Amino acid sequence: MNTLVNVARYHLVERIAWLAMPWGILAFSFLVNAVIAATAPVPAHGFYTGGLASIYVFLLICGALSMSRSLPFGMMLGVSRRTYYLGTGLLVLVMGVVFGLVLTLLQLVERASNGWGLRLHFFQVPWIMDGPWYQTWLTSFVLLVLFALYGVWYGLVFRRWSLLGLVTFIAAQMVVALLAVVAISLSHDWSAVGHFFTALTAVALTGVLAVIAAAMGAGGLSTIRRVTV
Amino acid sequence: MIPTISATALSRRYRDQIALDDVSLTIEPGTVTGLLGRNGAGKTTLMRIVTGLEFPTAGDLRVFGEVPAENDAVLRRMVFVREEQVYPDFQVRHAIRVASWFYPNWSEDLAGQLMADFAIPPRRRIKRLSRGMRSAVGIVIGLAARAELTLFDEPYAGLDAVARQLFYDRLLAEFAEHPRTIVLSTHLIDEVADLLEHVVMLDHGRVVLDAPADDVRGTGMTVSGPATAVEEFVAGRTVWHRQRLGSRASVTVADSLDFAEQAKARAMNLSLEPLSLQQLLVHAAGVSADEKVSA
Repeated sequence: MNTLVNVARYHLVERIAWLAMPWGILAFSFLVNAVIAATAPVPAHGFYTGGLASIYVFLLICGALSMSRSLPFGMMLGVSRRTYYLGTGLLVLVMGVVFGLVLTLLQLVERASNGWGLRLHFFQVPWIMDGPWYQTWLTSFVLLVLFALYGVWYGLVFRRWSLLGLVTFIAAQMVVALLAVVAISLSHDWSAVGHFFTALTAVALTGVLAVIAAAMGAGGLSTIRRVTV
Repeated sequence: MIPTISATALSRRYRDQIALDDVSLTIEPGTVTGLLGRNGAGKTTLMRIVTGLEFPTAGDLRVFGEVPAENDAVLRRMVFVREEQVYPDFQVRHAIRVASWFYPNWSEDLAGQLMADFAIPPRRRIKRLSRGMRSAVGIVIGLAARAELTLFDEPYAGLDAVARQLFYDRLLAEFAEHPRTIVLSTHLIDEVADLLEHVVMLDHGRVVLDAPADDVRGTGMTVSGPATAVEEFVAGRTVWHRQRLGSRASVTVADSLDFAEQAKARAMNLSLEPLSLQQLLVHAAGVSADEKVSA
């Protein structure tokens, strides 16, 4: 356990990457949207932006980078691959909790201030992050962890099989998606899929995302097993 | 006593190349072992398997009696300093601080002392350091960790002669005060010859020599003098190398000469010169020193 904490602390030595950058980029995205909201005519339902996505995307990048230059030094210091992965996972979980809480608080402020006085819905996303605060927190947490672990997996695939492996990895995901589309089309089941999503509550969707996040974790852990540095 | 490292029929094959071929060896605790050999001989591969960075294709490798790969209990007892170590993009002091978290016997004092000795700027980003300075950072971590098994793979690329001497002095002092098992791979054999207690030499992935350094040092002697006398003296001995210059000759023989033989040589007006460890190993690798120089 102690070693896991040390691995997590090790990542945080690069505070700029893990702490300053995600929030800096999110703040920039928010400012751009706020300026637009302040100057453009207000639509009927207020402004909805996709700016919140920037923090998730940046966590994906952080995850991928954590497996590039940091891994070899970690292994020099006698950390096993598994421990390195689990320590990184611990950091991702803690960051998911804390970052999710901050996002939830910002959403509460946004709601209380009628969208920062601009009718700007930056932290509020229809359907998925629109419920009570604990639901927003839970969904944010799951999504943050999902993106970070997805990034970690990308980083590991690149480390283990380099560029060709990375391209294959992306292509394989596309093939899986394509097969699903073909299978649904052939069985004329699109209406069933539509029903599934309309019947799905935000909480249930969070559950689905959590399962995907767990799959990302399992994928990364099995990929790191024979990575060489 | 459980050996620190024991390899049994260890092999590592890559697609088109055999890096380690049926390697069996034992490294006892509390010794300084030189892992020697030419480029591509398999030294780095062996150290990478010992530290769990690489996996063997066949055979068995144990460290402290256990398989090291993915074994935290074993891995945390060693530190591996290597030439091409990749560091995250942070400052020297960050690398030192992080390393200190992972080693229970870490010496803050020693790290500080070594940083000062090598004149490493603590707030400089590692990627901005010169090659020699970057090597020095590895040396600081390797020594200050006081890990039970410390492996150095060509640890001083780019370091000048003064800094290298500093490394040897510090290594010896540390070893005396806090005994540990040290494996040192290097091409600068004569520089480290006096440090080594045990010598393992690899060639094309095979162990060609595995012996106490003192035993190795005793073998091999260059006999020089008048050609006829030299030839008479070396008759019947294993000759590694022969050189003639006019009426004088210089012949390197593989045997160790006992006291009587040495006295006899002097009586014949021949001069004797023991081979250095480096010369010996060059011969052991099957390449004469002169061929190597002229090549």
